[in-house]
Amino acid sequence: MVTTEESLDEKVEAAIKEIFSSDKPWVTIVWDDPVNLMSYVTYVFMELFRFPREKANELMMKVHIEGRAVVSTGSREEMEHDVARLHEYGLWATVQHGDHVS
Amino acid sequence: MSEETQEAHSGFHRHGSYAYVSNFSESEREVLINLVGQILELLGERRDNHGDDLLAAMIGITSHDSPPDDGVLLRLLPNAYADQVDASEFRRYTEATLRAKKSANAMSMHIDLKSSPDGCIEVDHGGANAWLGAMNDIRLALGVRLNVQEKSREDLEILGPNDPLRGVYAVYSWLGWLQESLILALMDETL
Repeated sequence: MVTTEESLDEKVEAAIKEIFSSDKPWVTIVWDDPVNLMSYVTYVFMELFRFPREKANELMMKVHIEGRAVVSTGSREEMEHDVARLHEYGLWATVQHGDHVS
Repeated sequence: MSEETQEAHSGFHRHGSYAYVSNFSESEREVLINLVGQILELLGERRDNHGDDLLAAMIGITSHDSPPDDGVLLRLLPNAYADQVDASEFRRYTEATLRAKKSANAMSMHIDLKSSPDGCIEVDHGGANAWLGAMNDIRLALGVRLNVQEKSREDLEILGPNDPLRGVYAVYSWLGWLQESLILALMDETL
């Protein structure tokens, strides 16, 4: 099959665009909060996501130091479920499309 | 987030494999009953007014799609999206459930305290989680009133003896320490 360089470039460009737009997953973000105890945030991650203590602690430190951390990734419905459960425990969490800082 | 460093002298302890116990003095018990009662009252203030829409009431759709005006309620029932349209939509379908769950946690703590005149509380894992959620909601509420978002721990520790917030901060700190004692007792179990 003969393809001109130009049309191949277009195809590649379209494919790349596809990767970065439509398949962009939804994420659940937990934000730092001055009230929630560090141990509590770790405990909630262990309870809700069944993370081992070490992973839960690492995520908690990421929230504490960077101000925010992605705690789960998936479909919009799944993320809304996670945020609802985090809110029940009083953590400050939001859903967003893709992991850009907004 | 904050770190709890207060010296532990009582608080929750693990008892056997599945129980967590704490002995509260009469005044501690009264303070806890009072605070958790206020959370229940606050959550109850945000009622749904469905009018004739019984279906909406039945499936838990709330009449609220805007965030609470009150700072404390807003922290307890926060927006799930930065985008206002998405946040309103999510709130419409989930806020009633969230309020019910928070009320259930607070009610569980309230009943435990009310049914233990001697101040001796014993909870299982589920009961402990309800206490943690309810204590955290109380701390979130006090935190909004203390403006912990803006003030540092040092600012709050040097509040003058006549400042009404001084007592609020003392209760807030004590609750943090109590919450921490229960978390540590629970964590041993999962090690």
